[in-house]
Amino acid sequence: MDIKINHIAKMEGHTGFMASVIHGDVKSAKLEVQEGIRLIEGVLIGRHYADMPIVAQRICGICPVVHNLTAIKALENAMGVSVSPEAEKLRAVMELGQIIHSHSLHLFFLSLADFLDMDNDIQLISTYPDEAKIAMRLRDFGMDIVRVIGGRVVHPLTNEVGGFKKAPDAEALRKIVTDSNNVLKDALALGEFFKKIKIPDFQRETEYVCLRKNGEYAIYDGDVISSQGLHISVEKFENNFQELQKQNEVIKKVVHEGNSYMVGAIARINNNRDKLNPQASSYLDSLNFTFPDYNPFHNILCQMVEVIHCIEQSSRLIKELLHSDLNKVVTGEYAIKEGVGVAAVEAPRGTLYYHVEVDHNGYLKNVNIITPTAQFLSNLEDDVADYIKEIIDLKDADKQKKLRGFIRAYDPCISCAVH
Amino acid sequence: MSIRKIKITENMSKPKVAIVSLTSCEGCQFALLDLGEKFLDFVGKIEMIDFRLIEDEEDDGGELDLVLVEGNPVTEENVKTLESLRKRAKILVALGNCAAMGGIPEIKNYHEGTNTIKHVYKYIHGINNPEIKEIDNFVKVDFVFPGCPISGEEFLKYIPELLVGKIPVIPDTPVCVECKAAGNRCLLLDKKPCFGPMILGGCDAVCLNSRMMCQGCRGLRPKGNVKAMRTTLKTMMTDAEFENTTEIYGLRDDVEARIKKENK
Repeated sequence: MDIKINHIAKMEGHTGFMASVIHGDVKSAKLEVQEGIRLIEGVLIGRHYADMPIVAQRICGICPVVHNLTAIKALENAMGVSVSPEAEKLRAVMELGQIIHSHSLHLFFLSLADFLDMDNDIQLISTYPDEAKIAMRLRDFGMDIVRVIGGRVVHPLTNEVGGFKKAPDAEALRKIVTDSNNVLKDALALGEFFKKIKIPDFQRETEYVCLRKNGEYAIYDGDVISSQGLHISVEKFENNFQELQKQNEVIKKVVHEGNSYMVGAIARINNNRDKLNPQASSYLDSLNFTFPDYNPFHNILCQMVEVIHCIEQSSRLIKELLHSDLNKVVTGEYAIKEGVGVAAVEAPRGTLYYHVEVDHNGYLKNVNIITPTAQFLSNLEDDVADYIKEIIDLKDADKQKKLRGFIRAYDPCISCAVH
Repeated sequence: MSIRKIKITENMSKPKVAIVSLTSCEGCQFALLDLGEKFLDFVGKIEMIDFRLIEDEEDDGGELDLVLVEGNPVTEENVKTLESLRKRAKILVALGNCAAMGGIPEIKNYHEGTNTIKHVYKYIHGINNPEIKEIDNFVKVDFVFPGCPISGEEFLKYIPELLVGKIPVIPDTPVCVECKAAGNRCLLLDKKPCFGPMILGGCDAVCLNSRMMCQGCRGLRPKGNVKAMRTTLKTMMTDAEFENTTEIYGLRDDVEARIKKENK
């Protein structure tokens, strides 16, 4: 028996799904990627380093901030450019905004209808208008952060190697801090709503990988760790994680010692929940998860926890910034140097990794980009193969519906994964 | 009249619209979605046949009043989709820089072309890797929402005309007009490069407001004087730097074509 889904809507990028089941045995379960190649790494080679953050962020319309920031960090590491602590902090806030708006979109508008057994978002919005408005307000808050700091939500403008072209308006930042009080209440209310949703009971053990840092919930930087005890510097990432390309495939799926692993909100919560801010932490406690938590559907609840955390954290960091000299974020002078640099930042969907080599004139000799979706795709396929066994007796249409929901709960970004 | 019939009559009065992305970052669709309530107001006025960020339903393949296409035709499937949409559409619109000008993926055309793939993949057999071409090389395009990404506000400004079957005209003014109005100091006066004078305005000079030079994602304006622009920029950037920068948004081929025309 084959299970085939031609297109899966409500996720970033184009993909279908195909599984083959013989006598109840799942022989294969695979996303059939329909996205074309843009060869972003290839077009960057030979270009001036200053083009890289501009070009690389266009890998993705939903998470441009994290591509932009990771490219900049990798270039700074390659050329030995130092950045003011204020600029670093402002970048961290931007990434929090990115996570808030991406998660709010996914957990409510892209994924929720599946859990409520609804066919589309029009039905979802008309059944839960108040919750939809809250989700939109959360998303707006995240977008405001990115807009105020970056100048625009989709493909921000101010960031560059060395710092920012322009300091953000202090008044606008103050408004974000003021708004954050109500937005936090909104997030907690939406959190209560999500608690009532019936989440399928499915578990499969896996390895969780993310960044970790002393003293805070790692988003903007940290070492690479895993739930199986791995702890390495970002420089060692490519020694431990391998990109594999199969014939005819446009996504280079990543494995850790030959095995699939998971990144993203559920990985971060599993590994770093001890570092959450107070409200996020108590909300997580109220969910009564047992850790390690191996239910991939819990990814959306973990995203909810992170939305709460990121609101608390962004407000705190902006307050600190408002007590410092904001003009210090503006790019100072630096020299172009030959070198190799790597960087990793937590994207909404997991750890994003960049490797770049720059020549003495500032032109790019080599670029490698490893996205979260490329990392978790094998894990998703392994999970789905297991999950199919649980839904094998359902009617075809219902099976397809369940599988779409499962795949969407992962929040894959196919545009990123192919790039 | 049955409820079903009432529903059909209601729908008949609303224009049928599809927003479709080919290979792309989908940033232009997000620029629409990010309009929030204003976007939902627009959705209320139309019958949305395809918008994959909110819908998960089958499309019946019928006639469409308006089709908005984002991205590049890269896969064979992309080309088929584009061609079949054109057949169904009364009006077909390019949504953003990739569809209109080739965008970031077109950079490869100016360098290693189809060999660029060798930097990225070990196995290249069976992967569609065409030269990047703007969608008007495949189908007739009736209107362009320019920009990378498009401006949501500009979308709201022109969409009512498109919904009643009219083709809007974006005024031929340079980015400089809005840049000045925003109170920005001209980069060119500080001897810093900027393409503003030759590029079609309408973006509210969003880049310049962030002190980012205009790199021309909205394309040349009809009366833009490219030769004069190059002369102005000579002291600020080398010819190679000028060419490289025009490559980012697929502007280089348009600049070359315009210079040829101006020389005639």
